[in-house]
Amino acid sequence: MTASQLAASPREAPDGRIVVDNLTKVFGNQRAVDSLSFTVEPGSVTGFLGPNGAGKTTTLRMLLGLVRPTSGIATINGVSYQSLPRPLQTVGATLEAASFHPAHTGRQHLRIYCAAAGLPARRADEVLELVGLAQVGKKKTKGYSMGMRQRLGLAGTLLGDPRVLILDEPANGLDPEGIRWLRGFFRHLAGEGRTVLVSSHQLAEVQEVADRAVILNRGKLVRAGTLGELSAGTAVTVVRGPALGPLQQALAGAGFGGTTEPDGALRVRTDQLGHVGHLAFVHNVELHELRLEEFDLERLFFSLTEGEHRGANLEQPGHFQPPFQANQQGGGAR
Amino acid sequence: MINLIRSEVLKIRSTQVWFWMLLLAAAFTALGTIGNVVNAINDHDNGAPVDYYGVFTQSQGAGVALLVLGLLGLTTEFRHKTITPTLLATPNRWQLLAGKAASYAVFAVVYALICVALNFAIAIIWLSAAGVPLDYGHGVPGGVGKAFATLVLTGMFGLGLGALLRNQAAAMVFGIVYFFILDNVLNFVPWVRKGYAYTPGGAIKAFNSNGHLEGMPGDVHLLAPAAGGVLFVIWSLALLVIGGRLSLSRDIS
Repeated sequence: MTASQLAASPREAPDGRIVVDNLTKVFGNQRAVDSLSFTVEPGSVTGFLGPNGAGKTTTLRMLLGLVRPTSGIATINGVSYQSLPRPLQTVGATLEAASFHPAHTGRQHLRIYCAAAGLPARRADEVLELVGLAQVGKKKTKGYSMGMRQRLGLAGTLLGDPRVLILDEPANGLDPEGIRWLRGFFRHLAGEGRTVLVSSHQLAEVQEVADRAVILNRGKLVRAGTLGELSAGTAVTVVRGPALGPLQQALAGAGFGGTTEPDGALRVRTDQLGHVGHLAFVHNVELHELRLEEFDLERLFFSLTEGEHRGANLEQPGHFQPPFQANQQGGGAR
Repeated sequence: MINLIRSEVLKIRSTQVWFWMLLLAAAFTALGTIGNVVNAINDHDNGAPVDYYGVFTQSQGAGVALLVLGLLGLTTEFRHKTITPTLLATPNRWQLLAGKAASYAVFAVVYALICVALNFAIAIIWLSAAGVPLDYGHGVPGGVGKAFATLVLTGMFGLGLGALLRNQAAAMVFGIVYFFILDNVLNFVPWVRKGYAYTPGGAIKAFNSNGHLEGMPGDVHLLAPAAGGVLFVIWSLALLVIGGRLSLSRDIS
């Protein structure tokens, strides 16, 4: 879709649809975002994923009119953010956990933006209640913990009861209790049919709540789609036993690739559990474990980027190995 | 725009800075008035009334408070990164700047009302007690109007300067050093003082001068009051536009 087409058909865009079309941002001689295109459909939770420095925040800032694109266009409901007639009632966004005046109370902070959006002041109290900050609403934000700041940021996104929510790294700094709360919060929002775009470098965390994912690396789109689409062809069967050599040879003979983990487990690239079990039985191999590994966005990311981010600033740096480096074709951007 | 002004006024009211600045403005006004009244009592001939404009403080002192408030207008947003949620609520950056300027005008009018009332109260009570009659005939309405306009424009000047410099500490130091030190130095430096009339300080002095130019070197020729007013409007608007252009057109990252 071209910029002119987007401009010509704002009314045709479904309510809550986000379109990023060939977006590029160059800082000096660094291409922070490079010809990025993707869409976020209404009524879904979409994970916007990639390591730190992948260009996620820059993309979101361009989407929200805070950073001017070098080229390309980003729209919400078919128009740029600046052209939205009632921005806070259309899009709720939080980009930083510390965008508060330290001398303002949480309630004052929210009331300021209520006033700007023409919302009644009582809406501030409603959203404070919603995010569990009602008890500390009259406390100055300089006394807030990181978790409370994240919640206050989320409260700000809800002020205008928008259909679209854009959240940048909302789980940063949250404790396990906070992360559990955040998961429930996303599910609640998605259950109400809202469009939620959540950026995160914690891929496993987003996988818990996302319907779709847009994976970014070094400013470029690596892959986008539903989790089902992304997981297609990535199934792995994990086999454990005291002596798996004969089974590994049989699997290779049957055309199944695989690797042996340091702990001796065999990881086979197939979802045909029955076939693997049958081969083990035929070759008289004792099995202690035979299971289908759950889809793992983080593992997928490493495999798509061919391990270039091993040790990068992901949730557990270096913990995962690319599963099939030798056979990996790499994921084409869609 | 009304919502934006309400939001910006709430932003200012939500911290204590406005209150301390109001105290500062009141203190400057009171001190200035006391000085003027004492001079008026000492200088006046028996029986002759004192021109009220002679004891009117003209609000330049209170202007410092508005300058500081204005300087904080945008620099605070950048310092505490609240510029991000602010621009999310008001994506049109020029509209935001206009809203901030209007909200500082609201505060300037309130400050001016309080300062003028304080000036009048101190003057009338003290002069009455001293048995000195007051004459309200010469230029008082115009002088009061100029006090209001000066405070409004000083707030905008500060807002523009803050937008231009963005760094809060740098803007505060520059603004205060300029009006407290540089402005007084410039009009005594040979050659430089010939251009003093065209500086912001010279423009404010000319606007509020009413033809009285005590304390100025002989070869400093200020503009006519109306021209000084127009020049200060130009300075304030130019700083707002240039500051807005340089500061708000940047990427907010």
